[in-house]
Amino acid sequence: MLAESWNRVPPALPIGRYTNARSSVSIVAMYDDMVAVIENRPLTGGHFLLSLDAPRQAPAVRPGQFAMVRILGRSDVLLRRPMSIFDVTAKEGRDGGPRRARAPRILKLLYKVVGRGTRLMAELQPRDKVGLLAPLGHGFFEEEYLPRAHESDEILHVAGGIGIAALLLPAKRLAEAGFRQRLFFGARTKDDLVGVQDFKPLVCATLSATEDGSAGYRGFVTRPLEEYLTKHTDQKFLLMVCGPWAMLRATVELAKRFRHPCLVSMENRMGCGLGVCLGCCIRVEGEGHEAYQRVCTEGPVFWAEKVVWETERKLGIRD
Amino acid sequence: MTKKTKPTGQAPHNGRASGGADAGRALPAPAEQFTPQIETEIAGVRFQNPVWTASGTFGYGREFAHLIDLNQLGAICVKGISPEPMEGNPPPRIYETASGMLNAIGLQNVGAKRFLSEKLPFLRTLQARTVVNVFAYSTEDYVRCIETLNEGEGIAAYELNISCPNTRCGGIVYGSDPRLTEEVVAASKRAARYPLFVKLSPNVTDIVMFARVAEAAGADALSLVNTFVGMAIDVETRTPRISNVTAGLSGPGIKPVALRMVYQAARAVKIPIIGLGGIASAEDALEFLIAGARAVQVGTANFYDPGTSPRIVDGIRDYCRRKRLHLADLVGSLKVPATRA
Repeated sequence: MLAESWNRVPPALPIGRYTNARSSVSIVAMYDDMVAVIENRPLTGGHFLLSLDAPRQAPAVRPGQFAMVRILGRSDVLLRRPMSIFDVTAKEGRDGGPRRARAPRILKLLYKVVGRGTRLMAELQPRDKVGLLAPLGHGFFEEEYLPRAHESDEILHVAGGIGIAALLLPAKRLAEAGFRQRLFFGARTKDDLVGVQDFKPLVCATLSATEDGSAGYRGFVTRPLEEYLTKHTDQKFLLMVCGPWAMLRATVELAKRFRHPCLVSMENRMGCGLGVCLGCCIRVEGEGHEAYQRVCTEGPVFWAEKVVWETERKLGIRD
Repeated sequence: MTKKTKPTGQAPHNGRASGGADAGRALPAPAEQFTPQIETEIAGVRFQNPVWTASGTFGYGREFAHLIDLNQLGAICVKGISPEPMEGNPPPRIYETASGMLNAIGLQNVGAKRFLSEKLPFLRTLQARTVVNVFAYSTEDYVRCIETLNEGEGIAAYELNISCPNTRCGGIVYGSDPRLTEEVVAASKRAARYPLFVKLSPNVTDIVMFARVAEAAGADALSLVNTFVGMAIDVETRTPRISNVTAGLSGPGIKPVALRMVYQAARAVKIPIIGLGGIASAEDALEFLIAGARAVQVGTANFYDPGTSPRIVDGIRDYCRRKRLHLADLVGSLKVPATRA
C-alpha cells in the first residue's frame, strides 16, 4: 500500500544534542539580546533583507531555525515576530573586502511587509536596536533527514513566496555535502521572487512560477513540480517545503501521490517562540494533549505525514 | 550602637561607590546601608520575594532556564493542570491587540499524573516556590485533580483556576456564579493538602462579592485577575480572529482595571491578595503592592521579554532601599485623600 511506506517516519537516529527539541523541553542554545541593525535593504515587492549584528545567535544557528524579533519602545506592538533565519555570514571586511574565515556573526532575515509589525521593521535604520531571541525551534536537522537525502537522487526545495527564507540555509548545507538540488519557487508576481539569486550557486536549476505569469510558469508552483515528478517517476526525491498553508497542502499531496518523503517548514502566529504560550500549536497525528504540537518547539519543520492537513481553516498569520 | 563610619560587614557593592560627598552630608545613612526585607509570606508559606510568574505564561519553568535565573523568582505558577491531559482549542489561538493580546489556548496540558512525574522534580530543585494552578470541569474533578496532586512533594500551594474564559462549560462558570464559587472552593479546600489560593475572574459585576465568597468558603489567598473576555474580527473574511470566537485579553492594556479590582478586593477581605494583570515593569508591580497585593504575578510580559521578572525583583528591592521600606510596610500603603477614603 502506498500509505504504508509513506507514513513510515525515518528510524530514530543517534541522539544528538539537538534532537531534544522534539521533546517537551527544548535545551537548544538560544540567546535573547538587543542587537544592532547593520543593514535593512529594501528589495522588490515590499520585501526587505535585514542584517543584524548577532555575535551570540549567529554561530548557534542551524538550518531551518527561526528568530523572534522584538520591536523596541512600542507598547502597542508587544509580541515578537517570528522570522525564518535566511542566512548567517561572517562579518565582511572593511571597504567590502573579502570575508575572513571567522565565526558567523551576521544574522539575516528576509521578510515581507504584511502588517503592523513588519511595517515597523521596514523603518529600521542601521545602528537601531531590536530584541533578538534566536535561534529557535527544530529546523531541518541532518540527524533526521540525512538517511533520506542519501537515498534520493535529488533534493527538491519548494518555496511559496516568503517561504523561500527558510530554505537557503538547508540548501547551503546540502550543497556543501555535494547533494544535487533543484528549486521550485512560486509567488504572486515577479517582484515576489526574491532571494533566488542566493540559490543560484547551490542548485542545478530553478523553476519559477507566478500567479500572474509575469515570470516563469503562469500559475501555482505545484504545476511545474507535478510535471517534473511525473516526468521522473524513476527517481527518488526528498522534498523540503515552505510556504503558505494551501501551497504546503497541495505540495504535500503531490509528495504523497509520488511517494517521496517530504519535510515542511510551518508558520503560525506566535506569542513567545519558547514553547510556553501554546499559541502556535497545529493539529498533528496523535491523541489527547499530543494532538496539537507547537510550531515553535516541535517545529517549525515537520515530516509532512505528521501534520493533519484536512482542516480548511486559514491560520490568518498575515496581520 | 551609634553610627560610625561605613559598615564593614556588608558585601561590597558593584558599580558606583558612595563617595565622600555622601559621607559628608548630615543625612540618614546612605541608602546602601539599608537592606530591605522583600520576602513575603502567604498562608504560612514563605516566598523569597513577591514576584511570581503567572500560570500559562511560563510553561513548567524549565523552558526559561537558559534565559533567566529561575532562582531569582519568588514562585512559578505552572500552566493549569487538569485531572486528565487536555488537547486544547484548534488554531488560531492567539491574536495581538493594542497593548495586549487575546488568547484561547483551551488549557492544553499534560494532566496531573504526568505533571508529578515529569515536571515537578525539576521545579523542586529551585529556590522559587511551585504554585500549581488547578483546573477542571466539575467540582468532583477539581477535587480529584487536587487529590492526585496531593501526592506530589514540594508544592507550595494550589491556585484554583475558576476563571478560565476559554473552555466550554467550565472554569468561568464557577468564577461567575457565587454559589458555584463557594461550592468548588469549599470542596477543594477540604481536599487540599497544601494552601489553596483562588484565582478570580474579572468578568463579574462585583469583584468584592466574589472575593468575600471565596474567603468565606476557605480560600487561603486570592489571585486576581485572570483575563478579560474579549474578541477580534477579521473584517476581510468576516471571521473571528480566534477559533474559539471569544478569548481572554491580557497585557499592559488591562492593568488599570486589574489594579482597581485588587484595590477593592484587598480592602474587602482579610486573606492575602496576589495581584496580576498587565504587569511589565517594577513600577507596575509596585502599584499592585501599594494597592494591597502581598505578591504579584508577571504574565504576558514573559512572552515578549523573559527578563521582566528578575528585573522587577531588582526594581522592587531598589525602590524599597531608596524609600527605606520593607515590603511589609509597602503592601497596602496607598495614601488616599481623606475625602475619598
